[in-house]
Amino acid sequence: MSKIWVGLVFGLVLGAIDGATAWFTPEARPLIGGILVGSSIKGMIVGLLSGWFAVKVHSIKWGIAVGASLGLLFALLVALMQKNHYLEIMLPGFVLGGVIGFLTQRLGTPGVPQAIRPEAGRERMR
Amino acid sequence: MELSDSVVDYLRQVAGLPDLSGTRYELEREIGRGGLGVVYAARDQQLNRRVALKVFDFPMPQEAQLIAQLEHPAIVPIYEAGTLPDGRSFYAMKLVRGTRLDHYLARSPYLAERLRVIGRVAEAIAFAHARGVIHRDLKPQNVMVGEFGEVYVMDWGVDAVAGTPAFRAPESKLDRRSDIYALGILLRFVLPKPQPAALRAIALKAMMPDAGKRYQTVNEFLADIERFQEGLAVEAWTEPLWHRMRRFGSRNGVLLWLFGAYATVKFLLFFLRHL
Amino acid sequence: MDTDTGIGGKTGQFPSTDLSLLAATHDEFPNQALERIVALYWKPVYRFIRVKFRKSNEDAKDLTQGFFSTALERDFFQKFVSSRAPFRTYLRMAVVRFAANHRAAEMRQKRGGDVEFEPLQEELFAAHSAEDVFEREWRRQLFSLALDDLRAHCRAGGKDLQLRIFEEYDLDRSKHSSYAELAAGLGITEVSVTNHLAWARRMLRALVTDRLREVTSNDGELRHEVRRLWS
Repeated sequence: MSKIWVGLVFGLVLGAIDGATAWFTPEARPLIGGILVGSSIKGMIVGLLSGWFAVKVHSIKWGIAVGASLGLLFALLVALMQKNHYLEIMLPGFVLGGVIGFLTQRLGTPGVPQAIRPEAGRERMR
Repeated sequence: MELSDSVVDYLRQVAGLPDLSGTRYELEREIGRGGLGVVYAARDQQLNRRVALKVFDFPMPQEAQLIAQLEHPAIVPIYEAGTLPDGRSFYAMKLVRGTRLDHYLARSPYLAERLRVIGRVAEAIAFAHARGVIHRDLKPQNVMVGEFGEVYVMDWGVDAVAGTPAFRAPESKLDRRSDIYALGILLRFVLPKPQPAALRAIALKAMMPDAGKRYQTVNEFLADIERFQEGLAVEAWTEPLWHRMRRFGSRNGVLLWLFGAYATVKFLLFFLRHL
Repeated sequence: MDTDTGIGGKTGQFPSTDLSLLAATHDEFPNQALERIVALYWKPVYRFIRVKFRKSNEDAKDLTQGFFSTALERDFFQKFVSSRAPFRTYLRMAVVRFAANHRAAEMRQKRGGDVEFEPLQEELFAAHSAEDVFEREWRRQLFSLALDDLRAHCRAGGKDLQLRIFEEYDLDRSKHSSYAELAAGLGITEVSVTNHLAWARRMLRALVTDRLREVTSNDGELRHEVRRLWS
């Protein structure tokens, strides 16, 4: 499984779990469906970008940092849309982004780098 | 007139030295005794390099011919084999500059380094087994660690009757599994105190008195050591639950910390909201 | 001074009374081998008894004769089991038992009269050096017999020059002759001295090994003894 797919899968799963924890906030329970979907999509986007980063850069430390930053950024966007619960959305999003960043570094195969793909070589020879 | 003690000792010395007349070698000094022969440092006058000459009191074991054909980084290469003018057989090989394993361990190397040496020895043994050669006398004194960390396994194919009983397998007919037995003892020998339970179990499995219960190939032995090095469960040991959890924790420490941070954040936020 | 006996010395001779015993009693055991065994071990056993049991020259001789006679009568050599210990050790232990039994018999005779007890402490100290004495004497005897064989071989084969060079360089250590001096004295080249000396040493080694082979029961024991000897 490629690192990008690892990011997508774990981003989806962990995003859904993070969204589901909104059930513990009574005022958020009526909106739980939308929260779940939104959180899952947020997780997938963070996972996709973290996975892409992991293909380019092999560093657990940087993977966690980039994942956490992406998680924080997209959590901020969601919080701005809500205009509420900034801390409850951004802080878990930040940490979960770090988890996704770590998982994309640790798991998955990086895939064949650009420089040695046969298609790239043939294009250069033309 | 009776021979004096000093004359007897002198005759023992001069008649004991190998007669190298007519060969390309010039004797320098004795450097050790191993297996069925004596090892001397000598100079190859044709190539102007120092070599080690192993001189046998009796006809060279047949396996020595096979050993000469083994080419492996951990097996000392043999340059020439033949018979000296005094009838003794010999072979000339690379002169290894290094330290015997038992002396090397006195420097207290890390566990990773000890396992690296064992791994190199085992690879050499596996290589030889694949070519039908059994070591028969594997022990710390027959392993050298060179000045750059290279590992050599010495004294191949000699009759283990001449070897150290402590490292000899209990079966009377030695085969590859006897070498595995010796590898187990060697592993136990190099392990630091306290010995990691998994590695001790690997050593004990290799040292089972019943040859059928040991690792059947050196590669199985090596694979289990590699599993240990990668933090995985080893086949030789059924680890208790607490150990399995500890191993999981050590392999996935960062992940557990991150999840722990997430749970802590969630808990704190929940707690603050309800204050 | 109570000097050592010349019996069992360089030429391997031993008392003629034992020759007939050897010939008469053990037809199935090669007589020549028995002769050569006794030739090698007579002197070491004698010296061992002298040191370990503090016997005089005459008493030690008698005891040594008695031991070998008894050994031959009781098939001592045939009872040797090579897997347990080298023959040399087996023989030495038998000497100790024989001498102890002999002393017990002596003590029984003395009982009722003035009984003399040898100090135990002295015997313990003697025991340690007696083993060394036995080993050294065995080696000395081995090389002496091999040198006799070498001389006989050289004279029979017309190798008098080689023998002379060997004896002057390797046996007469007091002269400290160099190869050049030897070569000049004999009117030959230094290279010839080197080659002749190498030949003689090779021969000596082979003859020592032959002597060893005669007193060991199998290849394994022989290899063990060879390794010990040249270490």
